[in-house]
Amino acid sequence: MSNVNVTTFTIVVVLFLVVTGAGFAAARWRRPQNMLNLDEWGLGGRGFGVFITWFLLGGDLYTAYTFIAVPALVFGSGSIGFYAVAYTILVYPIIFIFLPRLWSVSRAHGYITPADFIRGRYGSRGLALASAFTGILALMPYIALQLVGIQAVLTVMGVGASSTNTFVKDLPLFIAFVVLAIFTYVSGLRAPALIAFIKDTLIYLFVIVAVFYIPTRLGGWSHIFDAAQTHFASISPATKKPIGTFLPTSKSIGSTRFDFASLALGSAVALFLYPHAITGTLAAKRRSTVQRNMIYLPLYSVLLALIALFGYMAVADPTTAANVKKSGNAQLAVPYLFQHMFPSWFTGIAFAGIIIGALVPAAIMSIAAANLFTKNIFAEFFKPDASAELQTKMARWVSLVVKLGALLFAVELPHTFSINLQLLGGVWILQLAPMLIGGLFTRWFHRWALLAGWLAGMAFGTLAAYNVSSATASHWAASSDIEFGHTIYIGLSAVVLNLVIAVVLTPILRAARVPEGTDETLPEQYTADPEQAPAPTPAEVGATP
Amino acid sequence: MTQATSPPRRSVIAAHPLLSAAIAILIVADIFFALYTPIYSRLTPKLGDFPFFYWYLLIFMPVTSVALWLATLLQKRLADNGGAR
Repeated sequence: MSNVNVTTFTIVVVLFLVVTGAGFAAARWRRPQNMLNLDEWGLGGRGFGVFITWFLLGGDLYTAYTFIAVPALVFGSGSIGFYAVAYTILVYPIIFIFLPRLWSVSRAHGYITPADFIRGRYGSRGLALASAFTGILALMPYIALQLVGIQAVLTVMGVGASSTNTFVKDLPLFIAFVVLAIFTYVSGLRAPALIAFIKDTLIYLFVIVAVFYIPTRLGGWSHIFDAAQTHFASISPATKKPIGTFLPTSKSIGSTRFDFASLALGSAVALFLYPHAITGTLAAKRRSTVQRNMIYLPLYSVLLALIALFGYMAVADPTTAANVKKSGNAQLAVPYLFQHMFPSWFTGIAFAGIIIGALVPAAIMSIAAANLFTKNIFAEFFKPDASAELQTKMARWVSLVVKLGALLFAVELPHTFSINLQLLGGVWILQLAPMLIGGLFTRWFHRWALLAGWLAGMAFGTLAAYNVSSATASHWAASSDIEFGHTIYIGLSAVVLNLVIAVVLTPILRAARVPEGTDETLPEQYTADPEQAPAPTPAEVGATP
Repeated sequence: MTQATSPPRRSVIAAHPLLSAAIAILIVADIFFALYTPIYSRLTPKLGDFPFFYWYLLIFMPVTSVALWLATLLQKRLADNGGAR
């Protein structure tokens, strides 16, 4: 703790306490008669308008992924990191196609998780279980990424970094983890929604200041781009190849164009398959709320492109580049850049913004995972007669367990590039695309064909990701490998395999007259915009066959 | 719980092929121009100090906003004309 900057540290702690206080106050905000109801705790009463939904969904994008992981990849490899920018563009036209349909059918039937929909659509408990399991599994590395992001900031702040003892080194991480766990436990989705306001204010403030101020310190944008271009063209002594790319290439180090496009497309399709993104969507009041958000949200992601450029600023600033190189951890690029460029009080504001920006999505994600487990595994398979109160209590505990699982991912997986944690989650969650997106448009797929496709995609994706090695890690080193001569995102190749199997098996199973299951949804329910929710209680929804 | 029975989707598309096609083109173009990197993986023309690749991605975001806004407007017209969304 010797090299801690007192001003920075104090500002981070104060802002952190203010936000935690707001989190607890949120429990009283628009207080419902009974908090012990999964619809209340998990969906904030389904009453969020355009403005709050905007913050809530924006919070899913502005995470440690944005502030730490993307600039780290840009710092280390150059233009390939900008796939994340293409990804945030692609997300909106893609969800425009299917998300309003999911909102409508979920409102009509009182679905609160993606697995509820799968179960209602295909009449299959097995398929619903598969989707719930996938959602929980995929969220863990994504939450782990948030924890790694917080750790990066604390490391640069000098908190616990000097010790080699694992426990002491990770102590600040555990403290942040505990605080997050407590306020999520107490106030459910209302806490992250309110904190999203504070978080976004902080983020807008420091990103806009950074984007205008840092280039003036570094000799302007032309110098930043020139420095990056020169840097990534230089030959690495280890691999005898250029360090990175300044533009996605078709030659030199593999074809990064395919990698770029497949990562962008895969991530874009994956985002709104994640249970937490669906939770945010279902918390919206009206179908039009969801639609209008698709218009406003891309404006929100302009910032993301600018944040990715922080990676190049770190390359262009010799002190920052040297610090990162010495630490051997690219995740520290943005924290070191801010620390070197800003006065310590402003660094404090920026660091607090990053930490809270990681906490909010982590809370939203763990609530979503808890909802999934409670509704679609616990109530479905173990205790069908569980009261609403018992389900909410269960969900609260499960959200803690999920965070512990994430902690395990954070500790166990190599994080040369922490973005890989999110991409690994994406490999898994993408396997829900045929049953979920497909199911919103057609009942053509046979439920067991979808299950077989899912199984194949999960197995292939997990194995392929496990087998990727690098100079520093023997397994799980990246989420792209080479298929048919092109470097491509494993999530995308796995979901293609998944889809092919589902398409081939469907006619076979149908010819063999394997039961199809009953579909409880009606075609017009996918386009309806009911003003009033049918006021579902979790017990009632869970018990409907 | 749901609105009055509306004609199935297919008939709305058949009744207003131009509107439907316009919506489809807006969405597909938006996806294509973000995904097909050979179009924008280049240094020039620059905008200020920004190489083409970088400002193209930056400008694309507000463009997406406008495209989706238009698509929503068209969809609304489709709904008003056909009775279904």
